[in-house]
Amino acid sequence: MSKQTYTNAAILRVSLTDGSIRREQISSDDFAQYLGGRGLGVKLLYENLLPGIDPLSPDNWLIFAVGPVTATSVPTAGRFVVVTKSPLTGTIFDSHAGGYFGAQLRKAGYIAVIFEGASPSPVYLWINDDEVELRDASKLWGKDTAVTTEDLLKETDSKAQVACIGPAGENQVKLAAIMTDLHRAAGRGGVGAVMGSKKLKAIVVRGTGDVAVADTDRLSDAVKHARRLIKKNPVTSKALPVYGTAVLVNITNEFGMLPTFNFQEGNFNDAVAVSGEKLLERLSVKRYNCYGCPIGCGRVSTAYGQEVGGPEYETIWAFGPQCGINDLEWIAMVNHRCNLLGVDTISVGSTIGCAMELVQKGKMKAPLKFGDTTGILDLIEDIALARGLGAELGEGSRTLAARYNAPELAMHVKGLEIPAYDPRGAQGHALGYATSNRGGCHLRSYLIGPEIMGSPVRIDRDKTEGKPDLVILFQNLSAAMDSLVVCRFTNFAWTVDDYADMAAACTGLPIDGSALLAIGERIWNLERLFNIREGLTAEDDKLPERFSTALSEGASRNRVVHLEEMLTKYYALRGWDKAGQPTKNTLKKLDIPKS
Amino acid sequence: MDLTVEDLAKTIDHTVLKPEAKQSKIKQLCEEALLYKFAAVCINTTHVEYAAELLKGSSVKVCCVIGFPLGASLTQVKAMEAKEAVRLGAHEIDMVINVGALRDKNYDFVRRDIEAVVEASGNAHVKVILETGLLIDDEKRQACLLVKEAGADFVKTSTGFGPMGATPHDVRLMRETVGDAMGVKAAGGIRNFKDAIKMIEAGANRLGTSAGVAIVEDFRWLQYSDAWMQPDRPCWDCPSRHASMAKQPKEVYLWYKARCITCPHRENNVFND
Repeated sequence: MSKQTYTNAAILRVSLTDGSIRREQISSDDFAQYLGGRGLGVKLLYENLLPGIDPLSPDNWLIFAVGPVTATSVPTAGRFVVVTKSPLTGTIFDSHAGGYFGAQLRKAGYIAVIFEGASPSPVYLWINDDEVELRDASKLWGKDTAVTTEDLLKETDSKAQVACIGPAGENQVKLAAIMTDLHRAAGRGGVGAVMGSKKLKAIVVRGTGDVAVADTDRLSDAVKHARRLIKKNPVTSKALPVYGTAVLVNITNEFGMLPTFNFQEGNFNDAVAVSGEKLLERLSVKRYNCYGCPIGCGRVSTAYGQEVGGPEYETIWAFGPQCGINDLEWIAMVNHRCNLLGVDTISVGSTIGCAMELVQKGKMKAPLKFGDTTGILDLIEDIALARGLGAELGEGSRTLAARYNAPELAMHVKGLEIPAYDPRGAQGHALGYATSNRGGCHLRSYLIGPEIMGSPVRIDRDKTEGKPDLVILFQNLSAAMDSLVVCRFTNFAWTVDDYADMAAACTGLPIDGSALLAIGERIWNLERLFNIREGLTAEDDKLPERFSTALSEGASRNRVVHLEEMLTKYYALRGWDKAGQPTKNTLKKLDIPKS
Repeated sequence: MDLTVEDLAKTIDHTVLKPEAKQSKIKQLCEEALLYKFAAVCINTTHVEYAAELLKGSSVKVCCVIGFPLGASLTQVKAMEAKEAVRLGAHEIDMVINVGALRDKNYDFVRRDIEAVVEASGNAHVKVILETGLLIDDEKRQACLLVKEAGADFVKTSTGFGPMGATPHDVRLMRETVGDAMGVKAAGGIRNFKDAIKMIEAGANRLGTSAGVAIVEDFRWLQYSDAWMQPDRPCWDCPSRHASMAKQPKEVYLWYKARCITCPHRENNVFND
């Protein structure tokens, strides 16, 4: 195969209903305005999905996309993004995974695969460079993600990459993930359930082509510079490679922000027992690097004599402090089980923590208790198989808590479980949670960087002044990064200009820092419009009531979230009206046609 | 402040003073200094000849530390070390003041100690490290005057190995004391562009830091938001907050802490961050 530029690469449109496969190319306007990845996916969904569709119906689309830097020499550029309407939140949703799948998809000559409709029987898509076909997956239905991956590699090409669902996705559980390379997950938002609803068990891709960029020399210089910065930064060169993401356990706990007992507390007394330092001492076997990644934050560990992936910080928190559990080896095993079943560890762990509090508060009867691991492995299996109590938990914490007349006990935003940072300890991060277009997400605007870790500079975590400005900056940047499709951790080392430099070199577009942020802003506003069209309002930009009550202990004691004063300013800075809707002028400025 | 990234880079002494630093680290330091056009590299004397060779013909100066980090070695040893360093290619000499003699008010000795190094250094610029964390404000002022009298070119706050690093308070005090004719170098604990800007605003015209690359690179964030420069809580930068009974003489520690009692920002004195 000859070298292929991004704009010459194909978008595959796969109708699962009739089995047809078509090739298209990205329009020059979409390329310039949305780049690819998340941005392209959002644009396609906004233009093509009818408002109000059931996310688990054939009307929904499931888009796998990579970006203009994918499979180039840009560090961490092997990721992919899944964009769809989420069955968990009802919002637009993008979920990301590392590994090697994204790079192979791009090398095969594709920048996106759009799945429409639903297959009458289980299938998988086999992409072997130019050859693309839907194949029967009946024999794989019901199998876990490891067996599925192994079988598919035997059936296709041992050098191929697999993205697949497990039993949870097949059962359309709203917490279902899409797994790749066994341990990497496009975890959040129930994207695995959408895949299951389409009877799509997996995509297998073998890509052997070369990827061309617009300006090789410029990219070479930019990448050299970017790699040097990663090597210089203490987070990307030391903390993450040595401890993995679990390095955050002790840090977050020291700031009184490690959510404990379903966010009832911000300090976990046994944090050290589940820390990155302890993981290194007890379980860690080796590092795992995704495609083209010089950081290597991934872990391979042992649990009860078995080699397992991870566990990551968020997973350790979800099944650890969130549930009051301090057994790191057990958590590693639970993580492994979740990966096999194909569920999102954050939402599953958080929902179990929610159930534990429902039981604690006498709202629900179930054999669940904070600090007790008994029966949880079985419960997770029940969640994946949508049976018994597991079927209730598989709907997510919002639905679960509402069912037991205690909606205040669900720690979510827009239906997505909030991850492992108590927002009372960091005002900017709290605003980021509340305004996230996909719900409770720490990655849309990771103000933990400046507010807690002092990266790039330390800012006062308790102040509200200036936070809307920084939240918007990071939201716009993350939307752009997700559309180039690079890993969020590069953000510790790189500034806006570094991303812009590499984007310009890869695309040939005149992208500087401001232009890159403008692309991110356009994507953010289009997502907002999608959500408004689905019926979301300013009322959905809120946090659980719990965060209006102060923590009583730890380094974040006596703090509450001051959301209202930040939100008003945030809307104004965004160019939105008081109802949180983008104004005509804003849409005109961003060149977004209002549907 | 109308500061460009180039201006900022020119204030930085790109520093590696750790005992475990290998030659490869010094090479990297010099390469970065050339790339970013820093003012100087600041290193231990053992690396001077190597750095001078790497930086030959460039605008980047070789700066080395003398009597480091305690300042308590013999005057003759300091002078000889400075002379030899200059012979090997050093353009700037950062010597540590004799802190004990200063606290003994043995001002003649302190002045002669500095004069000896100034003389031995020839045309090389001499900066004198006060190790401000071991001193109270009156002693810092006195030290600045002695440095000025002894003919050195700069006063410098700290070694980075002492009880505290540079603070805007100390930089301001030193600038007010020495006036505009001398240089003021802030060093120790300057980790990011906000720290750097605060030091420059307080009066520093040279910054000693091992985070020079991050400071210059991350400085670019400023063009996208002014919010980075929101004022911090007063206590964050205050030397009294950084005072440590374990690291400072008792009376110095108590002097610092006594300031907290009468501080107008006392209500902000919250230490759980």
